[in-house]
Amino acid sequence: MSIFLNLGIHQHIIRRNCEFHELWKLYNIEPLFSTGRNMSSQRVDAKVVLLGKEYVGKTSLVERYVHKRFHGGPYQNTIGAAFVAKPIQVGDKVLTLGIWDTAGAERYEAMSRIYYRGACAAIVCYDLTDSSSFVRLKFWVKELQNCEQQCKIYLCGTKSDLIEADRSIRQVDYHDAQDYAEEVKAEIFETSSKTGRNVDELFQKVAEDFHNSTAFQVMTEEREMDQRQRKSCCHH
Amino acid sequence: MQEENEHEPQLVSVTRIKCSEKTLRPTIPCILHFTEVTSVTGLEFLSQPGQEKTIRACYSLAWIIERCLPLKPDTGMEADVHNNSVPLENGNLAPVDRLRRDRSDSPTPGLVEGTEPGAGQDSAMFVHAQSFEDLTADGEQEQEEEVQVPEGGDRSERGPEVEKPRTEGEENEKMQGQPGEEEQEQEEVQSGGGRAKEEDVNSEAWRRHRKHVFVLSEAGKPIYSRYGTEEALSSTMGVMMALVSFVEAGKNVIRSIHAEGYKVVFLRKSPLVLVGVSRTRQSERELTRELLYIYYQIISLLTLTQLNHVFQIKQNYDLRRLLAGSEHLTDNLLRLLDCDPGLFLSAVTCVPLPSSLRDVVSSSLQAAKAKNLVFSILLAGSRLVTLVRKKDQYLHHMDLHLLYNLVGSSSSFREGEGWTPICLPKFNTAGFFHAHISYLEPASDLCLILISTDREDFFTLSDCKRRFLERLRRRSTYQALQEALLAPSYPVSQVGIPELRHFVYKSKSSGLYTSPEIPIPYQSEEEQERLMGLYQYLHSRMHHPTRPLRFIYHCAERENLLSWVTSGFELYLCFSPLGTKALAISAINKLLKWIRKEEDRLFILSPQTY
Ligand SMILES: Nc1nc2c(ncn2[C@@H]2O[C@H](COP(=O)(O)OP(=O)(O)OP(=O)(O)O)[C@@H](O)[C@H]2O)c(=O)[nH]1
Ligand SMILES: [Mg+2]
Repeated sequence: MSIFLNLGIHQHIIRRNCEFHELWKLYNIEPLFSTGRNMSSQRVDAKVVLLGKEYVGKTSLVERYVHKRFHGGPYQNTIGAAFVAKPIQVGDKVLTLGIWDTAGAERYEAMSRIYYRGACAAIVCYDLTDSSSFVRLKFWVKELQNCEQQCKIYLCGTKSDLIEADRSIRQVDYHDAQDYAEEVKAEIFETSSKTGRNVDELFQKVAEDFHNSTAFQVMTEEREMDQRQRKSCCHH
Repeated sequence: MQEENEHEPQLVSVTRIKCSEKTLRPTIPCILHFTEVTSVTGLEFLSQPGQEKTIRACYSLAWIIERCLPLKPDTGMEADVHNNSVPLENGNLAPVDRLRRDRSDSPTPGLVEGTEPGAGQDSAMFVHAQSFEDLTADGEQEQEEEVQVPEGGDRSERGPEVEKPRTEGEENEKMQGQPGEEEQEQEEVQSGGGRAKEEDVNSEAWRRHRKHVFVLSEAGKPIYSRYGTEEALSSTMGVMMALVSFVEAGKNVIRSIHAEGYKVVFLRKSPLVLVGVSRTRQSERELTRELLYIYYQIISLLTLTQLNHVFQIKQNYDLRRLLAGSEHLTDNLLRLLDCDPGLFLSAVTCVPLPSSLRDVVSSSLQAAKAKNLVFSILLAGSRLVTLVRKKDQYLHHMDLHLLYNLVGSSSSFREGEGWTPICLPKFNTAGFFHAHISYLEPASDLCLILISTDREDFFTLSDCKRRFLERLRRRSTYQALQEALLAPSYPVSQVGIPELRHFVYKSKSSGLYTSPEIPIPYQSEEEQERLMGLYQYLHSRMHHPTRPLRFIYHCAERENLLSWVTSGFELYLCFSPLGTKALAISAINKLLKWIRKEEDRLFILSPQTY
């Protein structure tokens, strides 16, 4: 059959993919990749990644923030990851957040590295009504602490509307989560994508922190330099 | 063959012995199909009752049948068996002579592959595929030879292969195996609704589903069940695995169990085992091919390498962990298998578009290339608008079916741009490609899939999409395309043959098929499935491994069907029941002329590469 006509290219493909497989096997061991230069874009000022167990409500959170709506319909798990760019006003500036909504399903775990690499903020979500999701959150926090020291961490307890309706279903204690956040130097929010509670506040905080960070200062300086250089080129 | 003949009655009687044991009531004559004729060990074990193994195997078999087949204990089975037996003479002669006659009588000289309507001008877009090639050309060198148990005598009915209609070309051929049909319709109503996961697996409703599919690991752990929860079925699956390994211990492979119009089909794809339990008219091969699709669906999410790896590390790994959230993909694929002719035809259909418009779309897509981009695919629902591929790289139609199943079963790509690893198993089971999936507009049906070898390529591909859209807009094609999509198909009346209700035409060299809208009498889901079932039945008759046919005229109760295969195309026609054979034959000519006239619009004649 003609599928393997061009062996050269195929070997290339196989090799590349094995690399992923290897990574999957050894995903605790840091692969020696370069910085996230490929997975970043000119269009975006700050890369923000959402992490967390499946079903915790990451997609709903992005959906609420970006489109101001909530789908009460049947749960649709994310496949791979979804990217959306969203402008946000901070002071007198408009920044563009590049938001990566990752899939919580375990089979995509090996891929997660490409999404959080180079991120300036990670929103790690847990479901207030599911204690196992908080266990999973700790896994992600460790992963970030090991691989992505520059990345600022935001913990996000989701579905707070459910707790308000019935306090007894809370499975993650507020103070425990607070203590943990302090310990790992993370911000913490409790949000509801259904009512919209605290959602804008969360992303606003992410954007402001980025705006005040050194990363942002460096970036703007670089851009100005770039522009100056380009101008001087044109004059010649 | 002789040997098997001798063993056969013992099998039946042993089953009966088994059933005389307290726990299992029904007496079910059944035939085990083994791959090797010489090694009838599978049957021999049954002739030595008393051995512990023997008992276990018999027990398993009866247990599976009891679990999976909705048999009523009081059915007079032996009596039915007699009624269904087929006269030998009718069965064994392949109608070669009649076939020739039909061909020379036929109105159009058989078109040679590559010149038939719809054949592409340059090279094809797809890997050239024979029907069923997947069952035979799969590296594992599976023997597809069917073991024919001698016919005649008091044997149970064994599905379409031994049914009477071996009288192709005869008018008023009546289809056998119909009796179940009315019953089925009732049940569809009962079993309707979404994914009935909480369904009670001991209920009658559960047993009455037309087609069950089970996926299990070699350790007997449940991975997927179409109906009911996997947990509730873990003992059933354990028994299935026991049966599979028992037969394998005798250096044999179990293929299928046939009983009372039911088929239990096994597909062994290490490290997985797939089992289908069906009471449709589909042949064993058709069912095996469907299981193969399910297998590839799983591979497309994990790669075979990763699948092997997890089971090497831990034999009794619960694969549902890695497949979490993918059940609806498999559910949806099973639905597609029932209602999309492309999946049994090994072909893809495209949106009818003026060729000038399609060419602009294709060249815009071609221009938006990137270094690691391998395929760019523009879909409207499950129809192709265009496909551009890297030179020398071919997409297999099965991989494309898996892609549109992925896109179609999830709303996840509606928001923003999707980026996901995906294995195209017919291309390479070892590794992932990376797909950029997005709709051209939030509310649009047009979905663009860009496939790259590099997982860091997201923004590169995102930029390709932007460039593609820009080009479309600049040439005002985008609006024209949107408008063309308002009528994504055409009514059969355009052909101008009043008795013609529907047809499917596949051009073999391009791997594309065309088909009009589903007409009114078939618009309900059940009726559409029934029509597809008829086509599929004809398809499997024509591609029978040992007795292939080229031409069938088939009169069923509610419609007349005609099918014809040449080296260039496959054609399936559905007429109102009032039509005659002569009329049907004259329609072929007219239809082929019409397709030739419209081929610019119905097919992609000039596929592009970058
Ligand atoms: N009541 C309530 N339900 C919510 C909220 N957020 C999410 N849900 C529900 O929780 C389920 C899962 O939400 P998703 O946003 O799809 O979860 P996810 O984290 O994206 O899941 P994966 O994509 O599989 O990782 C859905 O049924 C949502 O409707 C919330 O704030 N309140
Ligand atoms: Mg999600």
